[in-house]
Amino acid sequence: MSEMQNSRRHMGLKASRTLANTAIYAFLIAISIIWLIPFVCIFLQSFRVESTHQVGYVIPQQWGFDNYINLFQTDFPRWYMNTFIAALVTAVFQTIIVLCMSYTLSRFRFKMRKPLMRLMLILGMFPGMLTMIILYRVLKDLGMTQANSVPGLILVYVASSGMGYYVSKGFFDTIPKSLDEAARVDGATRFQVLKKIILPLSKPIVIYTILTAFMAPWGDFVFARYIAFGASAGKNVAVGLYDWLNKDQISKCYTMFCAGGVLVAIPVTVLFMCLQKYYVEGVTGGAVKG
Amino acid sequence: MKQYTDLEYLKLSKGQRLLYRILSFLCAIPSKIGGLFGALWRLIKGAGQAVANETRDIWLTFVNGDWKTKLSFLVMGFGNLARGQILRGLLFLLFEVVFIGYMILAGGYWLSMLPSLGKVGPTEEYNMIFDTYVTTYNDNSFKILLYGVLTIFFIIAFIYTWRVNVKQNQMAEKILATGKKLKSGKDDLRSLVDDQFHKTLLSLPLTGIIIFTVLPIVFMVLVAFTNYDGTHDGYYNNLFTWVGLDNFNTMLSWTAGTGSGTQSYAATFGEILSWTLIWAFFATFTNYFLGMFVAMAINKKGINLKKLWRTILVMTIAIPQFISLLYVSKMFAKNGIVNGFLMSMGWIEQALPFWEDPTWARITVIIINIWIGIPYLMLITTGILMNIPQDLYESARIDGANAWQQYTKITLPYMLFVTGPYLLTSFTGNMNNFNVIYLLTGGAPTNPAASSAAGTVGYTDLLITWLFKITTGAESQYYLASVVGILVFVVVAVISLVVYNLLPSIKNEEDFQ
Amino acid sequence: MASVKLTDVKKIYDNKVTAVHDFNLEIADKEFVVFVGPSGCGKSTTLRMIAGLEDISDGIVEIDGVVVNDLQPKDRDIAMVFQNYALYPHMTVYDNIAFSLRLKKLPEDEIYEKVTNAAEILGITEYLTRKPRALSGGQRQRVAIGRAMVRNAKVFLMDEPLSNLDAKLRNQMRAEIILLRQKLDTTFIYVTHDQTEAMTLGDRIVIMRDGIIEQVGTPTEVFEMPRNIFVAEFIGAPKMNMIDTELVKEGDQYFVTPFGAKLEVTGDKKNELAQKGVESGAIKLGVRPEHMVLTTEAGESSIPCKLEVNEMMGSELHLHVYTEDETRLIVRVPTINLSMEQRKQLTYGAQLYITFEGKVMHFFDKESQLNLIYG
Repeated sequence: MSEMQNSRRHMGLKASRTLANTAIYAFLIAISIIWLIPFVCIFLQSFRVESTHQVGYVIPQQWGFDNYINLFQTDFPRWYMNTFIAALVTAVFQTIIVLCMSYTLSRFRFKMRKPLMRLMLILGMFPGMLTMIILYRVLKDLGMTQANSVPGLILVYVASSGMGYYVSKGFFDTIPKSLDEAARVDGATRFQVLKKIILPLSKPIVIYTILTAFMAPWGDFVFARYIAFGASAGKNVAVGLYDWLNKDQISKCYTMFCAGGVLVAIPVTVLFMCLQKYYVEGVTGGAVKG
Repeated sequence: MKQYTDLEYLKLSKGQRLLYRILSFLCAIPSKIGGLFGALWRLIKGAGQAVANETRDIWLTFVNGDWKTKLSFLVMGFGNLARGQILRGLLFLLFEVVFIGYMILAGGYWLSMLPSLGKVGPTEEYNMIFDTYVTTYNDNSFKILLYGVLTIFFIIAFIYTWRVNVKQNQMAEKILATGKKLKSGKDDLRSLVDDQFHKTLLSLPLTGIIIFTVLPIVFMVLVAFTNYDGTHDGYYNNLFTWVGLDNFNTMLSWTAGTGSGTQSYAATFGEILSWTLIWAFFATFTNYFLGMFVAMAINKKGINLKKLWRTILVMTIAIPQFISLLYVSKMFAKNGIVNGFLMSMGWIEQALPFWEDPTWARITVIIINIWIGIPYLMLITTGILMNIPQDLYESARIDGANAWQQYTKITLPYMLFVTGPYLLTSFTGNMNNFNVIYLLTGGAPTNPAASSAAGTVGYTDLLITWLFKITTGAESQYYLASVVGILVFVVVAVISLVVYNLLPSIKNEEDFQ
Repeated sequence: MASVKLTDVKKIYDNKVTAVHDFNLEIADKEFVVFVGPSGCGKSTTLRMIAGLEDISDGIVEIDGVVVNDLQPKDRDIAMVFQNYALYPHMTVYDNIAFSLRLKKLPEDEIYEKVTNAAEILGITEYLTRKPRALSGGQRQRVAIGRAMVRNAKVFLMDEPLSNLDAKLRNQMRAEIILLRQKLDTTFIYVTHDQTEAMTLGDRIVIMRDGIIEQVGTPTEVFEMPRNIFVAEFIGAPKMNMIDTELVKEGDQYFVTPFGAKLEVTGDKKNELAQKGVESGAIKLGVRPEHMVLTTEAGESSIPCKLEVNEMMGSELHLHVYTEDETRLIVRVPTINLSMEQRKQLTYGAQLYITFEGKVMHFFDKESQLNLIYG
């Protein structure tokens, strides 16, 4: 009798668990579809040949590479190169700067450390966009705007990147300080400590920093638009493609936008997926540290 | 208000406890504000004290110093040179020479022009030879303000360096008096990779921050007190000049018809600010809770293909936002795919006004933001969820807690505790979330009462997109943008300060460790 | 192979907290000195100031007669073993040990010689190619010691090297450190919070509290002649019993009157009290648990008390008893002294009588807490 009750209770538990899991699977499948739909749509529409404006259906009636071929008749390759160069150079320099900053703030105790961190916290509360006005005029005087926007963009991206030290400082804080101390007692200078002890242990954060620094310029819209100031040769992909979607152009360029979007998304996504592990580590660590 | 002891407090009912806590929080506000002013006063007093101490110290150094020290007050680095520290001495001397040269050649001019921001604007003269009007450009207010600020920075740097120079003489005398040797130039260079390595490491990042962040921010704050705009660009058309607090008066006045459309600036500002706060609140918390939910669903025991689900979501982070946002924005357009799909299914008669109706637009923006934010939040919360000690759950289960109770009593407090600072930064980040709003709606639909020829203001505009529109609008009212920027700063700072002081993870760091 | 001298050394942190007050100590060449004290007493801070890992706020630290205040750690010629071992996780054991030698740019074959030699002594030869994470706690500890050994440094610093090990391994490593010390024959400074380690390892012990040196002395000195109540209680386990009582001088005899009993002070203690000219008065009387003796019956020289807890430690019993006025005392009784029958009676609430001899008493001033004889 009690055995039967037991087994029935057992069955009930199992059944409810199966039910819950089924519900969760349904939910996961649903969100996967919702999350993927826009990208599938972009992808499909980039092959649509019959018309170039927005339509209410997804699957093209006529397939072809016309949009991709047309892209190369426009300034798109130039925009692509602009963004790529900016992203590459930014990734290198921003990583160096962020690592210098975060390593120092994590490891050295000097008089100005706390005030410095507080100052950067306060500076971070100002809307960065405000500084565009002056940066634009200064860069313009230096001849780094419009068609020559790339060096200007790089300068702007890199120069203030020291402010984004939080995530990697959080990482360095997790490396025991006694390693530094042991190395210093062993006869290493601070520079040697960084080179021989800390850097070899910092691969995840270095990759995370490079990755985020490389990805940011692809999405930057505000500064790029301001600095390019309408000059087509100076646009990056975000600005260029955005302008294709304004009222005058959208009917001509909608499918070309989709094709451009695919070309931009593919390399960044592939890179990102390869280095996903480091990104996840960085993001999780950074959020906990605040 | 009556203070309860711990034991008395424990006897209260749940409602009474809540009431008590709210009351004691409210009662604590005056003393907290008092504390703030107290801290401010101490800061000022401390600064005064420091200046007095420094002055006395400098004076004593001069009086008690030898002739090398005394001469160093005039010729920087002389003491170093005379005592054999050639490298340091030369650097000091070089800095002094550069500074004096700069001040004579340029700095003095910029500084003298700073109070007026330029005297002579561009003039037109009739040129008889070419029979045309020729414009001569004269003073440049923009440059005067910029280089004026730069000169002030330079002067501060010089005073600091001079002080270091004096101090070094004092130290050198002290060291020599004990019979020890001074550091040589070689020692100095070596220390730059060792005990002074932080200076080497920080020099590059800090230079960048000072020139590209601090200087522009100081400049833009000052712009709020001028009339710098499209018609007063300081060089090509008209000079701009100091106007005191006029711009703040404009922005904060309730008189209608003075600016932004038919209503006052204060009304427009208030509307946008309240939407900004509503937006930030929903954007932060919908993402947070739904992201956590998705993470928990994927993490649940018995769910297979965990990696696949995660990868699908994570992949969407990689695709640059401007592509996904712009595309999604078009999907929800009147003739977009969403409306097309719904109509073809026969579920609706006519297109839904996703971007045309203010309320629809606001809700759509928040929902699309969920789509943007969940993968990111899913990643963050997954990591933290896995860090919650399992024995907490085991203990709760033995104590008889069901799944929901486990969530509200263990998971949620833990998560809120650990992610408290993140939620704060995410809230302020959302307040300034330019990309999502600008790429999705551009601020649309237009708010006619607040818009004017100078610029449109929409129902989904945040303060930050409004600021952008002001600067790029027909009149380029930079001074107004600057005022908005300062107000944004004030709002963010106040919120941060208040929340930061309330956050448990700041107050009791050890609770969950 | 060097002396260390600290003169008026102070550590004041930025928040104005003073971690170490005027610290004065001279450590002779080849001496093994142990800093011991409860956590937060400034012992590690002092060690780290000697190592150069903390700035010295005031005072002078000399190694081998050279003032090292402004020298970087690498220029002080010291070796150090850290509490958490601080092994470089990305290097093999060999590379860990060789790290300092490579920084010195020694030729590789000499490095090989030295590293394998040290590994031999420590018995870690077979692990040389492993990474630290593949080692057990004890092995890591050996690597850490090996890393310090190959330096041939003037001073060997150890910061709680055994506190991360379990009890059994700790005893084993303690013995090995004594052996190591014979082999290396150099100056050791060792920090611990464990008085047993301090007593067994040190030539001299420096007992610290709240940044102040309470007593410096050989193990025998600090055990038998504690300068004050803190030292008396800190050294020895279980800690010394403290009894509020009177010291009574009658003629040239001294008596103490704990809990109504009357016990005569005898032996050296009596002579020393007389020499110091100590008069009658209220005192704190200290008696170590092992010096308390169980007696069978009541009498003028015995203290009645009740048993609360009986801890069987194997070779001895720790009896926690309380007197009529609720003073808690601990008595250590060798198991062998008691018959089976007697042991059975030692249950909760049993009536006991304890006494102790006059020569084992320690006398402390109630106010200053100083030892009336050695204070």
